[in-house]
Amino acid sequence: MARIRHISIENFRCIQKLEWYPAAGLNCLIGPGDSGKSSVLDAIDYCLGARRTVTITDADFYRLDVEKPISVTITIGELDDTLKSMDAYGFYLRSYRATTGAIEDEPEATAETVLTVNMKVGSDLETVWTLVSERAEAQGQSRYLTWADRTRLSPNRIGALADHNLAWRRGSVLNRLSEERADTSAALAKAARDARVAFGDAAEEQLGETLQIVTDTANVLGIPTGGKLKAMLDAHTVSFSGGTIALHDADGVPLRALGVESTRLLLAGLQRKAASEATVILIDELEYGLEPHRIIRLLGSLGAKETRPPLQAFITTHSPIALRELNGSQLVVLRKQDGAHRLHQVGTADDVQGTIRLYPEAFIANSVLVCEGASEVGLIRGLDLYLESTGYQSLNASGISLVDAKGVTNLYSRAKPFVALGYRVAVLRDDDRQPDPATETAFESAGYPAFRWRPGRALEDELFYSLPDAAIHSLLEKAVSYYDEFLIEAHLRSVTQQVLGLAECRGPVTPATRTAMATASKAKNNAWFKSVSSYEEIAREIIGPQLGHADPGFQEILNNVWAWMTSAS
Amino acid sequence: MPVEIDLLSVERGTITAPAGCGKTHLIADALTRHGEPKPILVLTHTNAGVAALRAKLERASVPSSRYRLATIDGWAIRLVKTFPARSGIAPAILELRNRGADYPTIRDSAWRLLRDGHIKDILAATYDRLIVDEYQDCSARQHAIVYYAAQTLRTCVLGDPMQAIFGFGTDQLADWERHVCQHFPIVGQLQIPQRWARVGEEAFGRWLLQIREHLARGGALDLASIPPNVSWIRLPGDQRDHEIRLAAGRTSAGADEKALVIADTRPASQRDFAKQIPGAVTVENVDLTDLIDFSDRFDLSSTHALRHLVEFAGSVMTNVGSADMLARVDSLRAGRARREASEAESAAIRFTENPSYSAATAVLNTIAAQSGVRNHRPAILRGAYNMLKSCEASPGMAPGEAATIVREQSRLIGRPLAKRTVGSTLLLKGLEAEICVILNPELMDRRHLYVAMTRGAKRLLICSQHQQIRPQ
Repeated sequence: MARIRHISIENFRCIQKLEWYPAAGLNCLIGPGDSGKSSVLDAIDYCLGARRTVTITDADFYRLDVEKPISVTITIGELDDTLKSMDAYGFYLRSYRATTGAIEDEPEATAETVLTVNMKVGSDLETVWTLVSERAEAQGQSRYLTWADRTRLSPNRIGALADHNLAWRRGSVLNRLSEERADTSAALAKAARDARVAFGDAAEEQLGETLQIVTDTANVLGIPTGGKLKAMLDAHTVSFSGGTIALHDADGVPLRALGVESTRLLLAGLQRKAASEATVILIDELEYGLEPHRIIRLLGSLGAKETRPPLQAFITTHSPIALRELNGSQLVVLRKQDGAHRLHQVGTADDVQGTIRLYPEAFIANSVLVCEGASEVGLIRGLDLYLESTGYQSLNASGISLVDAKGVTNLYSRAKPFVALGYRVAVLRDDDRQPDPATETAFESAGYPAFRWRPGRALEDELFYSLPDAAIHSLLEKAVSYYDEFLIEAHLRSVTQQVLGLAECRGPVTPATRTAMATASKAKNNAWFKSVSSYEEIAREIIGPQLGHADPGFQEILNNVWAWMTSAS
Repeated sequence: MPVEIDLLSVERGTITAPAGCGKTHLIADALTRHGEPKPILVLTHTNAGVAALRAKLERASVPSSRYRLATIDGWAIRLVKTFPARSGIAPAILELRNRGADYPTIRDSAWRLLRDGHIKDILAATYDRLIVDEYQDCSARQHAIVYYAAQTLRTCVLGDPMQAIFGFGTDQLADWERHVCQHFPIVGQLQIPQRWARVGEEAFGRWLLQIREHLARGGALDLASIPPNVSWIRLPGDQRDHEIRLAAGRTSAGADEKALVIADTRPASQRDFAKQIPGAVTVENVDLTDLIDFSDRFDLSSTHALRHLVEFAGSVMTNVGSADMLARVDSLRAGRARREASEAESAAIRFTENPSYSAATAVLNTIAAQSGVRNHRPAILRGAYNMLKSCEASPGMAPGEAATIVREQSRLIGRPLAKRTVGSTLLLKGLEAEICVILNPELMDRRHLYVAMTRGAKRLLICSQHQQIRPQ
């Protein structure tokens, strides 16, 4: 029961404004670090949690501006009868239309009946929860959910500290599994008395001296002590707080001693059992402490693969495994754009789903450079490694992800989903073959850069025509080391109609040898440098160090690519 | 006591409930057995009906969590107030400044709200089922409210077309055959005359049930063939009739017995009988019109304040002699009177010299304490005391305003029956006593006659010139 239909957050931490219609089942928030994913979870937790107070500090206000109140508004649907009762909430029942997202102040025949709750924190740091209703406000009425209903609606958060869920404490998931409660008061009182008896006079030996002094003083002052003071266990102070009853395994070891991993997995499972009661589950850093196969198990127990999701979960993750495991409708990209936070549902279109499966990492990045092939990916990585070794900051810091489109024909279909989800996107391609010009023009005119080698050139052309002589020889030797002299000789001869061979190319660099090597190196079936790793290697070892002496045209292209990548953050 | 029909088994239907056949008991029984978490919505017509039903349910120890009790109009107001936009109601209407026009508007808005289905799920979430009492008094608009609520809630209505004696002004009653029984098919009819059986007069009760059928079919009441509980008080048809009627009204009643005297519909004639029958009081209409009129006129700063007060006392108590008293006060104040002032006169003089609400209360008190003075309209007098008390307690409150509050409060409070109560069928419906005296049966239609005849559990006196009473 009860699902969050709409969330609106204002002035909370890094979020100035955010509006979101989450899915009824699993909602996996992804996006670059510090984009506010955990703040969204906190906002839900603070707004719906059954707490008397929430500790909010000035630092929780957007840009520390306490004059603009924090406001979290959550609209809840799939209400049970208690929450829809006119007696209790008549003035506060509203309607939500799934098709348009419209929320109106009064119920409507063809729309879902919902309640909207609001949490507001002003500069006095007092947290005020209210049910939102314009008509109630107009009549000067105001109220909030009853404590019992708050408890039922309270989200369950599986954080790093989930221990309290393994004992019958307040808010524990165990209390939501059934109505059963253990009555401990009588047993504890008896245990306390027994302890008093068992402890007996043991203290007297340990505290004998003190006792003697007190007894003597009392006697001198004429205070009746009955002759001799005793040190005994005070049964009243033997108290046990909540959580007295906790789960233990067969050997009597408390389950909270289990590793993070098992604890979280068990809790997610229990949460699901309690779904008829508990409504919303929040998991920050899903992958925390979990082996990959257990991430999959955990997602499964949250109902990730079920058509009718048993519970509504809000999770954050940076795990490519989790991303690959989930459906595009369960993934939501949180990004900051033009100052405001935007949420984009990844969606289930084929190109998107495929892209997610193939490049989950890219969805966690800030900017995505879609490269035509492995060679460009390797080139960029290698150059980055070289630059890093010379003291430049690594591209990792800029949150760049490189995507291998595997061919010019896939370039824009790979780029499209990222564009749709609000990422910074650019493409980098060869120019020996061109993509559909209309698609490219549209991409560029939307403000996304399309970097390409000079007209008609593939990367190999650029390398062999642009790099200085020394680099050309190094590249040739690299190719020889990957294959062997005989094969490279054959490649060269075949592309020059037997005119030039390895010996000529090892000699003085001429336009003819450059052309021969450029052509041979990109041969369809025997490309000299075809994997990401081989390109990474030549870029780090050869291209990087020699780039400063290369043809300015080539340098300029790479400089532009770099400028785009490093201006990301 | 077992019940004849299980209300909880009725998904949708009407139960015909002749007078005194344990309708309220049936409802209480259902609510007692109701074990579901959601309460049953119980609707009836008047605030007095709500008060009476609530009192009976409390006496039967039905936990209040099992039901929600309201008038149909009260519930309608609540619906449209809670969902004003979907009801399309203007906020001004809800202030009820113009009751005559506002109530029909509210009823219309309420049934449209229900018809349009905006709150179907909310109704289903709030109530387990719906029971409506006194359905014969339903106006067409109120019936529409129940009809559309019944599209969501299991609904059982209880009523008796032979007891339909209320009319709601411009709001027509729902047609029993064409509307009520069509929309809520008859499930059954209560057969056991519980009220009479309780006092060992079941045969009398059964005879009344037969008469009910007979009257319903347009038959006449033949005073020649009546059970021993019924007495025909013959009227000669001349000026002696009044004395004979008074004598009937004074018929002896046992120590623990009470009598209802049913006069014609004119309030003046009811008061007249109440004045002349020792121990009799009137029953007042729920609007307490005379209290409101007096309060609207009563003004401490007016030079006529004393006159208004004393005349009011004269209208609610016997043997006050208002005119004499006012004349005495004048001469006493002018120093012309030889006889010393009585306590009431002194209080009146104090009031004139120093008008206050407490002084006004003292005037009424001292008049009431005079020998020979009897309060035959206690509801109005009690209202006046309460009104004066409120005015005294909250300076700035106008008497008219205070009286309205008093009236609204009195709607919700049932009063124990006096030894003898005089009223019309309309005013006495819902009340019951051991003895019932019908003064003018020939002025009644068959429904009024049936309601009147069923007010007494042990004895019924019918004053009539003719042996055959053939009501319209």
